[in-house]
Amino acid sequence: MAEISDQAVSTTVDAQEVSDVGELPQSKLIWMRFRRNKLAVIGGIGLILMYIVIALGPFLANNNYMYQNDDYIYGPPTPITFIGPSGKLGLRPYTYKVSTRLDPEAFKFVFDIDLDTKIPIRFFVEGDSYKLFGFINGSAHLFGVEGGQRFYPLGADGLGRDVLSRLLTGGQVSLTVGLVGVALTIVFGSVMGTVSGYFGGLADDIIQRIVELIMSFPTVPLWAALAAALPPISGDFSALDRYFLITVILSLVNWTGLSRQLRAKVMAYRESDFVMAALAAGAKDRRIIFTHMMPNAASHIIVVAALAIPGMILGETALSFLGLGILPPAVSWGSMLTDAQHVPVVIDHPWLMTPGIAVILSVLFFSFLGDALRDAADPYSI
Amino acid sequence: MIAVPFALCPLVLGCEEETRMTGYILRRFGYMLVTLIFVTIVGFFIIELPPGSYLEFHIQDLRAQGGNVTRDQIDALERRYGLNDPVYIKFWKWISGFPRGDFGESFQHQRPVNELIWDRLGYTVLISFATLIISWTIAILVGVYSATHRYTIPDYVITALQFAALAIPNFLLALVLMVFLQQTFGTHVGALFSPEYRDASWSIAKLFDLFSHLWIPIVILGVGGTAWTSRVMRANLLDVLNMQYVQTARAKGARERTVIWKHAVRNALHPLVMTLGMSLPGIISGETVVATVLNLPTSGPIYFQALIQQDMYLAGTFLVFLSIALLIGNLLADILLVWIDPRIQYS
Amino acid sequence: MSDQVSVKVAGPPGQAVKRPLSSKGTILDVRGLHTYFFTDLGVARALNGVTYSIPREKVLGVVGESGCGKSVTARSIMRLIQPPGRIVKGEVVLHRQNGAGSVEDVILTDLGKHSVEMRHIRGAEIAMIFQEPMSSLNPMYTIGAQIMEALLLHEDVDKAEARDRAIIFLDRVGMPSPKVVVDQYPHQISGGMRQRAMIALALSCAPSLLIADEPTTALDVTTEAQILDLMRELQHDIGMSIMFITHDLGVIAQTADEVVIMYLGRIAEQAPVDPLFYDPLHPYTRALLHSIPRIGRKTKERLQPISGVVPNPYSRISGCPFHPRCDSFMPGVCDVNVPGITYTDDGRAVRCFLYSDRVEPNE
Repeated sequence: MAEISDQAVSTTVDAQEVSDVGELPQSKLIWMRFRRNKLAVIGGIGLILMYIVIALGPFLANNNYMYQNDDYIYGPPTPITFIGPSGKLGLRPYTYKVSTRLDPEAFKFVFDIDLDTKIPIRFFVEGDSYKLFGFINGSAHLFGVEGGQRFYPLGADGLGRDVLSRLLTGGQVSLTVGLVGVALTIVFGSVMGTVSGYFGGLADDIIQRIVELIMSFPTVPLWAALAAALPPISGDFSALDRYFLITVILSLVNWTGLSRQLRAKVMAYRESDFVMAALAAGAKDRRIIFTHMMPNAASHIIVVAALAIPGMILGETALSFLGLGILPPAVSWGSMLTDAQHVPVVIDHPWLMTPGIAVILSVLFFSFLGDALRDAADPYSI
Repeated sequence: MIAVPFALCPLVLGCEEETRMTGYILRRFGYMLVTLIFVTIVGFFIIELPPGSYLEFHIQDLRAQGGNVTRDQIDALERRYGLNDPVYIKFWKWISGFPRGDFGESFQHQRPVNELIWDRLGYTVLISFATLIISWTIAILVGVYSATHRYTIPDYVITALQFAALAIPNFLLALVLMVFLQQTFGTHVGALFSPEYRDASWSIAKLFDLFSHLWIPIVILGVGGTAWTSRVMRANLLDVLNMQYVQTARAKGARERTVIWKHAVRNALHPLVMTLGMSLPGIISGETVVATVLNLPTSGPIYFQALIQQDMYLAGTFLVFLSIALLIGNLLADILLVWIDPRIQYS
Repeated sequence: MSDQVSVKVAGPPGQAVKRPLSSKGTILDVRGLHTYFFTDLGVARALNGVTYSIPREKVLGVVGESGCGKSVTARSIMRLIQPPGRIVKGEVVLHRQNGAGSVEDVILTDLGKHSVEMRHIRGAEIAMIFQEPMSSLNPMYTIGAQIMEALLLHEDVDKAEARDRAIIFLDRVGMPSPKVVVDQYPHQISGGMRQRAMIALALSCAPSLLIADEPTTALDVTTEAQILDLMRELQHDIGMSIMFITHDLGVIAQTADEVVIMYLGRIAEQAPVDPLFYDPLHPYTRALLHSIPRIGRKTKERLQPISGVVPNPYSRISGCPFHPRCDSFMPGVCDVNVPGITYTDDGRAVRCFLYSDRVEPNE
């Protein structure tokens, strides 16, 4: 049989660290296991970067997201080069002068790139004014081009609007809808699930019937029907109001899953010894629910919530894509993809698909996080 | 109602189990009917919710095209469609037509709903169920493979693919696939039939043509579900492989393959079948979205159009029938679960 | 067949030691077995050089605290160790009795884990029953089906005959209404009945060795007594050898003919049951026996637990593994080298520097 040399085998593990497992608080244990998961770290960092970038959106993008440049309809991404006018490679990026003309035969716009005229890209350029975080006024942008020409790193869409700027602004919607929706889902789902599981009887029956009813509808058609029921955007009902109602609609269907799982857990806990002990000591129902049951279910709730966020993002994207979610003048990644619906359009203007990449990345990162959380939340397993 | 009177049970071998099962199935069926009634009511109410009506939409449309509608014409249309009636009257008028097969009329298509839905629903159901079966078969095989080959390179590759599959919105995948196919094969692949077969009568050749087009929506719809199901299968199987009875099976001297499939997988499958019913909503709703992108003759495209234009009878009927498909799917899943698990009590 | 057999034991090459064995010989020998588990947290040395013999047609009790490696030993014999665990060194030899009175030595550790030969030995020659009868039986199949599976694998029978035999065995293990139980599922019968079913399953192919891994720990005392009686009875009838793993010294006293005491992956002592209880050699055995509460003792006397705790399996202790807790600890001796196995004249074995200077060769 194979012999193992002692050197090949790892020597004494720090006995302290291993034997401390019984003494650490649960949250610390979860954090330790979470940290070890490389995918979670990637996901976490990726998401933090994404959120920072979209928060700084207007500052980073060159143009206002609503500005329609008739001269640049379906304009391609402006090319960037690091070779200066003198022909030498340098640190300063340059872009070319682009002029638009109408091709009379194909009846399309053609964009001529003047390779001889190089325009330097400067930092902290004055441009369209904006409001950062809703209250900081500014008009400087991180990078841009001085003079008349506008700079479109990701090209322009069918109405001449800057894709990059819309990507960042749309991200503000797409990435927060999931969070708000999940918060609603947690609150509603936990309350219903706990009430249902703990009190049983009539309350349980009613809630379970409602849950079954909601779960009997196919999801997207139900969302679509509810979204179609929202009033059109007008003075009384702004795009922001619509945004919030969309998140409510998304969570309206989602809470059922969480409540069912929580109900099962609560019913199991209800029979457990520690609850019996609390009851025997005279604790009131409310105390038992909040002090004993909820903390035990907390890790489960967090995991379910984290795993639900991707679903919400995808749901909003699908709804907006179909024209039933976020409507103009607001923008989200889903609504940007509506422009990319037709195959010929996509083939000719592939930069219109960038919101799709953004969606995929954000969902991936959230999935990594959620998965790692789920593995980590059971710290007593091997 | 029960197949054999209980008293006679001792005479018929195994009949006790059967009568209990039949009773269970009938009870689930009853629940389903009740839920269906509620679904119909709630569904109609939701469809009815938008302020305004198709008529307003239609009038706007006409005006945009340059025409105009007189007051009399408006009144006539309103009376004809019963648009001014209160909700419950509208509902009753609609519901009472069900037993006759009359589901109201579609405003935008100017035809009875009946004529519009059956083909499309049929294709939706066909695609959804086909996707379910194929997706689950692949998922189980993949799940078992990755559980039994843990920490190997194929396992990591599969995990990466699963993550990717779950992250891509299905309509995006549809789009990407279409672009890819168009660039590679040059043909327009976005329909269920080639032009020559579309209106032809059914034949083997037409069936073949259908299948050659069907794989695209099935793949698109199935990708996400397969990824999710195979991950759950993998997790379940890993749990089951740690169970004592797997050791017992090995200790008996059974072949490893028998241990895995006959003992472990059978048990790992059980919690998975419980979620079979839950896969279905995802597939059905995914189908409606993907069909819109691919412009397939299924329920999706006209359902969404009907919603946007408030063609309420059409939309309502679709919603109800999609829910029926879902409920039947759940019922079948319940029956399947009861059939494979001897531990379930029939209460 | 001679009663005295010369057996080579783990030690420097060339050193054969005459070891007198019990009268009918040995059915299984474990020699210098090392089974390690390679995990993220380190290497757990579950078995660190285990050597003992199972006497033929007798009951060998294997005793030790949780985590000492009792179950791992059993699974190593059956070649049931799954990754990340592995048998790293040592061998297991089965002395198979062929019909004509000759004995064939089968080195189990040389066979492939899933090979046809090993699979046949598992179940047909060596059978195992486990601790938790509920989780040891597959909830999806009937009792009869699970017994029949073993029979169909190893014996030349068809389904009908396998079913008949299953019923006969269920009857033999004292199962009430065997014809009904054979078609029932594990969740439909009680814990004691399930354990009987497990025994029936194990015996169905007439194995020569039965390994019982804590078979009665999960049962109540009355059922435990019944199962123990059953096992003794069957052993006498069939002439089977039993390796009985437990942490309960009371059960050992009742059931075992010979006893092996394990500590932290090594054998501390092996002896026939009476000498072990009346004259324990190893300090660990002595401490174990002292810790048993006795009826009739003065009530004011405190219980005597063994000081210290069992170290975690990832740590490595230099010298004798028990020395941190031993009250006969000899500094400079016990913490430097691992004691080798000493064989006494009356057929006992012990690993302790109190009895000899033999040192275990370095691993």
